[in-house]
Amino acid sequence: MTYYGGHRGRSAGVRRGRTWSIAALLFLIGQLGIPLLGLAQDAASTAATVAYRDIPQLGGSRNIIWVIAQQHLLLAGFVLGVPIFAWVCEIVGVRTGDKRYDKLAKEFTKLLTSAYATTALFGGILLFMLLGFYPKLMAYLTDIFFPSFVVYCALFLLETVTLYLYWYGWDVMQGGGRKGLHLFLGFLLNVFAFFIMIIPNSWATFQASPVVVAEGSALARAWAATWNPTWWPVNVHRLIANVVLGGFICGAYAGMRYLSANTHEERVHYDWMGYVGNFIGVFGMLPLPFAGYWLMREVYQYNQQMGITLMGGFLSWLFILQAMLIGVLFLGANYYFWLGITHRIEGSEVKYRRPIMAMLVILLLCLGVWMTPHSLVASLEEARRMGGTHHPLLGVFGVMSAKMTVVNIMILVTFMSFIIYWRAGKVETATWAKVAQKVMAGVLGLAAIVVIVLGVWGYFVPAIVRINYFSVVQVLIVLFVLVTITPLTGLLMKSARTTTEMIWGRMPPRAGYALVLNAVMVILLMTLMGYARSSSRVHWHVYGVMRDSSQYAFSPALGYAAAFMSLNTFVFCLLVAFIFWVATMGDKTKTMEPETKKKLPAGAYPAMAGGSPTLDDRNKQ
Amino acid sequence: MRDQRSFLKNVIKKGITGLVVGVFLVGVTRALAFPPVFQVMFFTYAMLGAAVFLLLDAPSLQPMSGTKALVALLAFYVVISGVYIGGASLWPQYDPEDEKGKIEKLLKAKRAATEQGKAEELLARTKALSEKADAIMQRLQAVGGAALARFPTGADGGIPSGASPAASGDLVALGKEQWKLQECYNCHKLSGQGGKKRGPEMDNIGNLMTPQELRQKVLDPRSWMAEGFEKEYEKKKMPDKYKDLMEDKEIDELVAFLSTLKNPSVNTPKAIKKK
Repeated sequence: MTYYGGHRGRSAGVRRGRTWSIAALLFLIGQLGIPLLGLAQDAASTAATVAYRDIPQLGGSRNIIWVIAQQHLLLAGFVLGVPIFAWVCEIVGVRTGDKRYDKLAKEFTKLLTSAYATTALFGGILLFMLLGFYPKLMAYLTDIFFPSFVVYCALFLLETVTLYLYWYGWDVMQGGGRKGLHLFLGFLLNVFAFFIMIIPNSWATFQASPVVVAEGSALARAWAATWNPTWWPVNVHRLIANVVLGGFICGAYAGMRYLSANTHEERVHYDWMGYVGNFIGVFGMLPLPFAGYWLMREVYQYNQQMGITLMGGFLSWLFILQAMLIGVLFLGANYYFWLGITHRIEGSEVKYRRPIMAMLVILLLCLGVWMTPHSLVASLEEARRMGGTHHPLLGVFGVMSAKMTVVNIMILVTFMSFIIYWRAGKVETATWAKVAQKVMAGVLGLAAIVVIVLGVWGYFVPAIVRINYFSVVQVLIVLFVLVTITPLTGLLMKSARTTTEMIWGRMPPRAGYALVLNAVMVILLMTLMGYARSSSRVHWHVYGVMRDSSQYAFSPALGYAAAFMSLNTFVFCLLVAFIFWVATMGDKTKTMEPETKKKLPAGAYPAMAGGSPTLDDRNKQ
Repeated sequence: MRDQRSFLKNVIKKGITGLVVGVFLVGVTRALAFPPVFQVMFFTYAMLGAAVFLLLDAPSLQPMSGTKALVALLAFYVVISGVYIGGASLWPQYDPEDEKGKIEKLLKAKRAATEQGKAEELLARTKALSEKADAIMQRLQAVGGAALARFPTGADGGIPSGASPAASGDLVALGKEQWKLQECYNCHKLSGQGGKKRGPEMDNIGNLMTPQELRQKVLDPRSWMAEGFEKEYEKKKMPDKYKDLMEDKEIDELVAFLSTLKNPSVNTPKAIKKK
């Protein structure tokens, strides 16, 4: 007891010390930052003489910016994505009274605090590098966006204060009405985080899709430039992608902890955390292709040439690489669900073997279609044999109509994997269960048929009809399936009887590797999309307005870029590993609190999806 | 031991199934004349499927810790990375030199506008004139037609046909290059190529607008409107950026090219003066 108290005292002292250090650091950054902003106008005048600077000995300005910007973006994605589900987990904990969710939310937030400082650090480095390497471009952007720089700084301060209050106030704000205040802080944290994300998005999207900057006040010009055609599609796409990134990284963290767990309790906890991380990642991933579709549509509408450069021009093979990564991600996420079915729920292995086999085959077929490019690489002889660069059969799969169809089918299959996992080891007892099952099967079957029919029909209608109506209907149908079957299954499971208990902590080590694989795939995907967005501007800093006249104006080839993406992913993984190591240093000295163990057999925990002894007890009563 | 034996059986069974399916797919794709890269890809899909199924039933590995675990994880990343970089490198690569060439062309005019650029241009002109003088001298000295034929002249006896428009000083050809460099085809169709949603087809514009009017339109898009494109005009679809982006000389070249577009079979809309 004395030791515990002493430890608490020490940790409080350390915490206080850390808070002061952070405050001092922020003050220093502020001191450094204010003169920088003040000098922006001077920079504009010197920029007229110096357009670029370079350090070729360090790989050149573009490569340096590439690495730093990518690290900052990935860290920012994590830092902005995690608060969303940390807050949701906290709410679930409050509503269900299940302490595990609160513990999980706190664990997520713990990772956040260390990651936040590193993100800010990389943001600062990026700013200095940009000012140094691209003075002319930065002067131009500062001239347009200066008012939003000020708002951004203010938001950053608010976010910092809210995050530290949210984290350090966690234990203090547990009791009474203070929990409500803590939840409100979580809400505020997410609101500030959202605005912190969309403001820099406006700078980046302006570079890709600039609008005519009207004459007027500085604020009016900044606002006109902010509200550019790809701003909102990118905002939505990034918001979802951040949740996916955060989910899969937390999953990978849990996977790593699971692999290195020494006790059964640790294995149980990290198995469950890995499941939650994967669940968040998968559910975020489901609407992501729709957001990507919207973004591409806006790109085409803004500038057809840019759309063609991306989808049909020199970057078109990039999307085949994207299909490969997303395909592996879908396979990895489903594989993790299937491992859960076969290892956590005894007896399910035989029962669900056939559906798993069928889902795997469908996923592979869809992946095959998705990875088929529109115009094929063919030698002259091959082209002659095929009768052109478009194969009569393969060419059919290379177009958007086919790709949209298979993406929707893959989403439906992944959703089904989750539903099967949810229902495994349970028997529905509701009187209306059979009707509900038939309705769900009907909805799913009909949705799949309509998606395929629209996909085939899409070949016979003008592109504008396909893009504006058919693809949109396909998306709406899949969303309809998601929003009807999820609550219906939830209702069925409420009264279901558990036949086989779900046992946590029994997953084989490869489940941990699957979680790491998923995280690596998402990180690679984000680096690939960064390359796509930057390359789509070709040799423009600001598309159609300010040319890139540096020696690095050209886009690098795909193989070279892939090596760079791989390097960036590795560096990011190292950073995250370091952050997690620092964040969990103190855990080693703490003892586990075996609260729930008394009530339940070892490893048997109530689950979000799967066996639930708590519900069974309630049913028995 | 029993686990290992049953896993080995499993590997053989599923491996053979994967191989059979893979070979079957290769046969089908070959019969359908798919390019080799796709035959390999289809085989890979079959083996990937077999591997996923195999991994579902595989016995658990012994948990690793310390350096061993770290090395295993690094090896795992190296494999993923290797496949990724290998895949991206094996697929068709675009050649950055193409874009470098285009950038060079674009920047040349900018550089020429500077003082240093002007000096360089004068030097280049002097050099070209000197070469021309040399060529004339050689022609005069030559007696037979055979000697003349050796000179690198074009069909019209002027500049060689392979020479760039810049070297020839051909305004129309330079204007056509501007059409491509400024990506006018993105909004205007010409000879059936390019987009046409935002702006009118240009094939007959030379019959409808004078060079002065065309110049005015490029510099100030609000000065003229194409009949039937009222909505586009209201939405300011044509960007107001060319006066900043293009040099005077480049605008002259573009206008010279546009003035030659006189194909009455294409229904290019009439231009309405707005300013």
